[in-house]
Amino acid sequence: MDQLFTMSLVFSTIRLATPLVWAAIGGLYSERSGVINVALEGLMLAGAFTAAAVTFYAGNPWAGLACAMLAGGFVAYLIAVACIRFKANEVVTGTGVNILFLGLPAVLSGALFLSSGSTPQLPKEQLMPSLAQLIPGMPQWRVFTDVSVISLLALVVALATAHVLYRTPFGLRLRAVGENPEAADAAGVRVNRIRYAAVILSGVLAGVGGAYLSIGQSSLFLRNMTAGRGFIALAALIFGKWRPLQTLLACVLFGFADAITIQMQGVAKLPSGEDIPVQFVQMIPYVVTIVMLAGFIGQSRAPSALGIPYEKER
Amino acid sequence: MTLGRIFIVLLGAAVTAAPACRRASYEADDPSRIHVGIVFDIGGKDDRSFNAAAWAGVKCAETGKLIDGVSPCDKPALGIVLRDVEPGTPNSIEPAMRAFAERGYDLVIGVGFTQAPIMRVVAKDYPNIRFAVIDGVVLEDDGTPTPNVASLVFKEHEGSYLVGIIAGMTSRTGTVGFVGGMDIPLIRRFEKGYEEGARSVNPAIRVVQNYVGVTDAAWNNPGKGKELSLAQIDKGADVIFTAAGNSGLGAFDAVEQKGMQSGRATHFVIGVDSNQNGVKPGFVLTSMVKRVDNAVYNIVRDVVNGDFKGGFHVFGLESDGVGYVVDEYNKDLVSAEAIAAAEAAKKKIIAGQITVTDAMAQ
Repeated sequence: MDQLFTMSLVFSTIRLATPLVWAAIGGLYSERSGVINVALEGLMLAGAFTAAAVTFYAGNPWAGLACAMLAGGFVAYLIAVACIRFKANEVVTGTGVNILFLGLPAVLSGALFLSSGSTPQLPKEQLMPSLAQLIPGMPQWRVFTDVSVISLLALVVALATAHVLYRTPFGLRLRAVGENPEAADAAGVRVNRIRYAAVILSGVLAGVGGAYLSIGQSSLFLRNMTAGRGFIALAALIFGKWRPLQTLLACVLFGFADAITIQMQGVAKLPSGEDIPVQFVQMIPYVVTIVMLAGFIGQSRAPSALGIPYEKER
Repeated sequence: MTLGRIFIVLLGAAVTAAPACRRASYEADDPSRIHVGIVFDIGGKDDRSFNAAAWAGVKCAETGKLIDGVSPCDKPALGIVLRDVEPGTPNSIEPAMRAFAERGYDLVIGVGFTQAPIMRVVAKDYPNIRFAVIDGVVLEDDGTPTPNVASLVFKEHEGSYLVGIIAGMTSRTGTVGFVGGMDIPLIRRFEKGYEEGARSVNPAIRVVQNYVGVTDAAWNNPGKGKELSLAQIDKGADVIFTAAGNSGLGAFDAVEQKGMQSGRATHFVIGVDSNQNGVKPGFVLTSMVKRVDNAVYNIVRDVVNGDFKGGFHVFGLESDGVGYVVDEYNKDLVSAEAIAAAEAAKKKIIAGQITVTDAMAQ
């Protein structure tokens, strides 16, 4: 057991939770404004591909990150146009975007790199740095050397979101629009404008989560490299009752469950001395999720106007 | 609102126009030429590993050149018409295979063990079309090989034994790692051979092994591959062998992140299937190559020459179907003693003096 609970487990948890936090917090903005966002997976893929492609050409991960945010925001804008302006079904639109980004990066990488869905590998110098690499003279603690700045920023964003949501006029309007758009409208809030802003913001944040996958954790983009993380983020959002800090904790819990399966493989033994089967170990995160959802969390209440397009009364 | 509509139209235009930017260079279907269709595994032909090797084989048969389309592949072009499919999900493998058969292709190649059960069904429906499956075995109900299917299989355990020797002799910590993709008997075969090879030169060596997952998503998750590798490095592993498709690229990132000390990497990775020595030069100890490219080229040549044979085609050390690579990228990383030990073991395996456990046969 002492082999299991080590500092590397902590850092592994941080690294694995990072993309989930960005995507889930992104989803939080969209959903608190009343727009269901099942497209997190697609938005992350958009960000991941853009980040890797731009970094390859520009040689600078910050340019890649900026373009990933733009790409995520742009795709989210399209979702917003479809769902808010044209009142398309939000789940269907989001699913469409997810499917689109299974294929679109493959087409684009075919045109750019003559490959079918992967980008060239980037050298280590062109990946997102850790804080110790960024600012010389930082103490050489592992949290500064082993953790990408994007991970640290994820914490900042989650805390900032808690502040924005509960302590700023924009946050108040956002929540009002998601709970009772008619009342918000009557009070002079421009409902759809807030929703546009929220959905675009969710794309920007999910784009960062995707960029972390391709230029932070790994060094290239691969077809469907999110491997379902967008949906895990969505689960974390619901798990966290659409509240920023709880969502952050849910993401960390999922990251921890993932990290512990990595650490447990080949270490934990049955009393008979045999290895625990890999299949069993890999079940743990899902069992944890179900047990926590069913037993400890209680009812999770969605924003009242979630999924209902707003039509201004005349 | 018009702005929104314009955006949607533009996006639609971009999606439809993008493929046209790169004109596919397919010639008109010429019935006099041999048609070859290849269906890749979920990893896709850019995995720089297993699928890439199969792609190199058919590309060489089509053009006489390597994948880059410039350098020659040292074998003559065979004048075939080549089409390929990269299935996005396992469910699209069968329709892709049937589409080739339906259009009367002369040879349909399936890449990867998952395609064997599918090919077994499809090959029965098209007895006049020849099929080849890589890493899989297609048999009749009574255990005899299906006549129109060639099963191209490799003795991965033998090649893995040799890189295990090199890993065991290079490791300074006495711990080596193995990162597998999907937990299947085929990948266990790599692991077992590697472990035995490492143990043969250092009986006290510790081998830590991990698998990325238990579904085919495990071939496409480099983030998880990197985490597994970092966890193994924390447990003391300083040489990591990957057999995990795209996920294995995460192990390359992990050893690179650990950096160099006085000009030599502190941790090494061993590539798999294709020669991956050049992926991260200086950090790749060697690659356990599986000459899928040669096997694929040869089966295409057999069809072109009209001497296709169904049944088992086994590629081992004796035919250089598996092996390890020393080239300009890693010649300073591997010690002369390690190479000598690996060469000696190779001779003994071919002569039958060493038997490497085949985890798939168990």
